Amino acid sequence: MTVPLPDSTSIDVGTSADLMFADKLEKRFGGLSAVDGVSFSVREGEIFGLIGPNGAGKTTLFNLITGLTPPTSGRLIFRGENLTGARPHVIAQKGIARTFQNIRLFPNLSALENVMVAQHIHTHSDILSSFFGLPSARREEAFIRKTALDLIDLIHMRDRADEKAKNFSYGDQRRLEIARALALKPQILLLDEPGAGMNSNEKAGLSDFIRQIRDQFKLTIVLIEHHVPLVMGLCDRIAVLNFGQLIALGNPADVQRDPAVIEAYLGE
Amino acid sequence: MDSFISTYGFLLVSMTFAAMLALSLYLPLMTGQLSLASPGFYALGGYIAAVLSTTVWKVDKGATYPLIALVIEMIIAAGASGLLAIVIGVPALRLRGIYLALATIAFVEVLRVLSLNLDVTGKAIGIFDIPQPFSTKFAYILISGPMLLFVMFFVYQLERSRVGRAFAALREDELAASAMGINPTNNKVLSFVMGAVLAGVVGAVSAHFLNTWNARQGTFDASILYLAFVIIGGSRTFVGPVMGGLLLTALPEVLRALASQPALPKFMAQFLTDGRLIIYGLLIVLSTIFFPQGLIVPELWQRRKRKERDS
Repeated sequence: MTVPLPDSTSIDVGTSADLMFADKLEKRFGGLSAVDGVSFSVREGEIFGLIGPNGAGKTTLFNLITGLTPPTSGRLIFRGENLTGARPHVIAQKGIARTFQNIRLFPNLSALENVMVAQHIHTHSDILSSFFGLPSARREEAFIRKTALDLIDLIHMRDRADEKAKNFSYGDQRRLEIARALALKPQILLLDEPGAGMNSNEKAGLSDFIRQIRDQFKLTIVLIEHHVPLVMGLCDRIAVLNFGQLIALGNPADVQRDPAVIEAYLGE
Repeated sequence: MDSFISTYGFLLVSMTFAAMLALSLYLPLMTGQLSLASPGFYALGGYIAAVLSTTVWKVDKGATYPLIALVIEMIIAAGASGLLAIVIGVPALRLRGIYLALATIAFVEVLRVLSLNLDVTGKAIGIFDIPQPFSTKFAYILISGPMLLFVMFFVYQLERSRVGRAFAALREDELAASAMGINPTNNKVLSFVMGAVLAGVVGAVSAHFLNTWNARQGTFDASILYLAFVIIGGSRTFVGPVMGGLLLTALPEVLRALASQPALPKFMAQFLTDGRLIIYGLLIVLSTIFFPQGLIVPELWQRRKRKERDS
């Protein structure tokens, strides 16, 4: 499927046969189109970058995909299934996990509990089996704890697992949020500015970490990021948004040379 | 000992009721829902027990009421409260924060006005001469004591379980919890229903205990009182509301005892007896200033546990 652009070039936006397909997604807030008919697909196993100037609609697009805001029009197809307008917890159960730009951990729960909570959909103990301490419930509880500790190990926080999430540094909170999202065992992981507030050293480490979890958990990753070198080095493909519209989509080198992208970032 | 029980038996049972009613408000609070509906379900449970025991399972005046009938009343009260809570909860829990509190206050008022005007609830006079299953008031502790322990154990297990963690996540950040696959509606309704069932069952026992039941049971005042139990006791662990309910119910009697000390100047003694409500209000204000999280916070024992582990 291709969409013609005003300047007569066209973008190959993929099809609904791909892992995830956004079909003319639109979100209007009053008279403003925050996301204006955006179509693109994400292929299995890739690291897909979403960039654009401030206010371009990147986070709104994430919110449309994860069901936090219902789209005004358009469709979201995930693994051939239409998830348009589904509620957030249903979308999470289908295998789409996310982190938040303005970190939303559970501040008064410990790091370990934050990760344990996110295994909710993969476990089944009800109130009564927990109340009676049935063997099945206790086994499951031990399993939840072990899985959570493994994920805590992945981000090297074992020694601080019992501390409240709100007491962690900004960078640690970002990593903990990723660990929590991984506990959902998602197919797609949406990362909203994972490198925000990190120095260049930490950002280099972040690139390696994102590749590592992609390979280890067989993930597909979509990320919003402002830091251009990070995005160029890390992403297989990049989509560029400006004023709610998709202006470019392709591999990093092509996108970097695209006149529409240069204009959006630097002005005419 | 005998004189202690004959003097304070009524109070001790009232304290256990108060602790359970505080827990009935704490349960929806576990998912972050400030619901003041407990007195409504408490009144409902009481009317169910009062009507059934004075009409359906009538006993002769002065005869002992069969305990099994009381248990059946408690079960019916639990069922009725639970059903009503689902009907009320599904629409009401779409509201948040102060709006949910207002809606539940309205619910309590609706029930109160209904009971003032319906024949079956005895209108303004209410229902009196509710038969007694026990010969003394203190004997009610045989029901309320184990019940309180059971409920405390239930909430204790709940807080450490998968469902309890989902509740805590909703309380911390509903949006993030739903993005982690937790169904907000189902869990909020579940916690609301559990609180309602508890309040309804306590109401059923309470109707017998108080011997009479009328529209003054379960009013807006009671909503605020239970809320004070939770706020002063602490809302971050179930121990808080239990202690709040127990201690604040005992407080007026403690003040009365203090006032009867002969060494006390007369005006002080008078203040302690007649100014009880003033002292009570002052305590609420002071504790919210100095203990904004309540008197009982989980850190009290978590810190000790950590110290033990580190040493």
